[in-house]
Amino acid sequence: MMLKAVLLLVFWFGAYSSAFGAEEYKFEASEIEKKPYHLGGFAELRPVVNGLDKSSALYKVNFYNNNRGSTLQEYNSRLQLEGSYEEGIARFFIRANQDVNNTYAGWSSNGTLYEGFLSLKPSDSWIINVGKRTFKWGKGYAWNPVAFIDRPKDPTDPELALEGFWAASVDYIRSFGGPLKTFSFTPVLLPVINDNINDDFAGPQLNLPGSKPPHTSNQINMAGRSYFLLYDTDIDFIFFTGGSKTTRYGVDFSRNISTSIEVHGELALMEDFQKMFIDRNGNLQTSNYDHVWSYLLGIRYLSPKLTTYILEYYRNEGGFTRNEMQDFFSFVNKGYNTYLSTGNAAPIQKAAALTQGNFGKNTPTQDYLYLRISQQEPFDILYFTPAISSIVNLNDQSFQFIPELLYTGITNLDLRFRTYFIVGKGDTEFGEKQNDYRIELRLRYFF
Amino acid sequence: MRSLIKVLFVLFALIVVFPAHAIDGTQLLAQVDRNLTPESYVMYRKLINVEPDGRKKEYTLFTVKKGKDKVAALFTAPASEKGRSTLRLGENMWLYIPNVGKPIRITSLQSVIGGIFNNSDILSLDYSEEYNAEKMEEGNEYLLYLKAKNKTVAYDRLKMWVDKSKILPTKIECLTEAGMLIKTMYFKDIKDFGGGLIRPADIETDSPLYKGYKSVMLFAGLKRKEYKDEVFTLTFMDKMETLR
Repeated sequence: MMLKAVLLLVFWFGAYSSAFGAEEYKFEASEIEKKPYHLGGFAELRPVVNGLDKSSALYKVNFYNNNRGSTLQEYNSRLQLEGSYEEGIARFFIRANQDVNNTYAGWSSNGTLYEGFLSLKPSDSWIINVGKRTFKWGKGYAWNPVAFIDRPKDPTDPELALEGFWAASVDYIRSFGGPLKTFSFTPVLLPVINDNINDDFAGPQLNLPGSKPPHTSNQINMAGRSYFLLYDTDIDFIFFTGGSKTTRYGVDFSRNISTSIEVHGELALMEDFQKMFIDRNGNLQTSNYDHVWSYLLGIRYLSPKLTTYILEYYRNEGGFTRNEMQDFFSFVNKGYNTYLSTGNAAPIQKAAALTQGNFGKNTPTQDYLYLRISQQEPFDILYFTPAISSIVNLNDQSFQFIPELLYTGITNLDLRFRTYFIVGKGDTEFGEKQNDYRIELRLRYFF
Repeated sequence: MRSLIKVLFVLFALIVVFPAHAIDGTQLLAQVDRNLTPESYVMYRKLINVEPDGRKKEYTLFTVKKGKDKVAALFTAPASEKGRSTLRLGENMWLYIPNVGKPIRITSLQSVIGGIFNNSDILSLDYSEEYNAEKMEEGNEYLLYLKAKNKTVAYDRLKMWVDKSKILPTKIECLTEAGMLIKTMYFKDIKDFGGGLIRPADIETDSPLYKGYKSVMLFAGLKRKEYKDEVFTLTFMDKMETLR
């Protein structure tokens, strides 16, 4: 009996050991088989808590007649679908979003076609694209002054996908053996037609008495990029011209100066720049410039302990000055006080019209610093990346900082927890934002 | 006569200082490279990160290489990574993420997938392209001592054990400049891929920096193929799927 038990034990131990030792990994032929079509995407849940700053200008603009508590909850969801079909030299790609959100304003639903274009590749040197797509020109992480035909990025979340514009473009690529390793040229035609195609390309317009929006309809705009990989440096020369925006030129570069340090920069020149702003009484003012410059300088450093630092300085001559921002905040406060004392909402509504896409947009002033520090897999926790980002307004010393935790250890599931702390005195950009803080959890499941 | 003796003495000294092993080591390394892959090829790889509790995370990559210094890889699975591509032109490396929409420069020590594999494992060139054979020892197997040619190479030193009959590596230790072991790769499962390509189809890796963790790289669909140079450019990174 005893012998039988020992034999059984030995058998089980042996079976366990051999199963463990001879673990086999398989790579099936079906895993590398290519299908002509692809369907995928992700589903996302993103609950948010906003901690409100009731004395701020943007709180007054948004909630002057709708007093809220100290916090606001949001429940956001998104379904992003991607698909492609390939036949011969042709490939069709589509990416679309459906958002369903529940905020203080109730339920809302919005569907957006982000990209949808046909690519023809007659050879590896020529690729023709027609349809709606993003171009993402520029080397900056948080800002891209030379991205003349893209929507502006959100510098607090620069890796978010963006909606594209309808365009026709060609990529011509050549490779060489000398110091110039690669050259490519990408000309682009971008039409704005009858307020139906790319009608928002020129950006938000001031819909106020006295403002003269540029004639942006029925325009064929042209843009182009020449790329060079020269002496191990990425260099782009970029231009844009057409009736929807003024002519502009740009150059950017990116280079690894050592095994752990990358430097990059962008420089953009915008001709015939017109800036519209208001004085403290709400009167519309216009400044015209022959040209304005904007530029960015950045560095990325990977430490021996796999900490990544990204530091960028961004200068935008076309942005609002400190005085112009202060005048706007004064006008908001006057309008709010007028509303409280007389019930006349016209001034605060005018301020609200100026906020969207102008004074209230991301980083609307002139000088900023961006810093992001992320640590890959600290404490030997695989797939875990904590990070902290900060945007500092150098003109008024207000700032926000954003600690985050990202975990990608479960296949196809990304978990990200973020907090935004928004800090500044009165009459400063971040001090007058609607929120004091924001807490956000993002669950994204890919399929 | 005296100067002739001097010359002969110098030649003798050189022969003693630089033994034939150094040359043999270089030749052997070049032969190992050619036995592992043709200079230009396409292949699929599956990368498996195995955690101490047995949990796994798998990635599938389509890889193309041309000549000595051009290699590009496209993630085809899992869904969260699909469409990501990486490109290497000599010492330059870039990563393209579909959502981000533009290539960004990366370094060889970073890891686009986490775990034991880093970017230089995913975009590896020939060993002889990145390392010099400093010394060779001969026992049951050849043992090559390799030193990185420059600072951009991920591991400063390698110790490579080579099977004498097949001229294929059986084990490689990756070391820092100070000789600290970063990871060990074990080459297993010699397989005939066709076209005269017979090589290990399974490389298993462990690391003292990730105790209890293991990474596995499986190979499939390896064949000789040469694409145009234009495929190995930034502009082409979002179009790599069309090569499959």
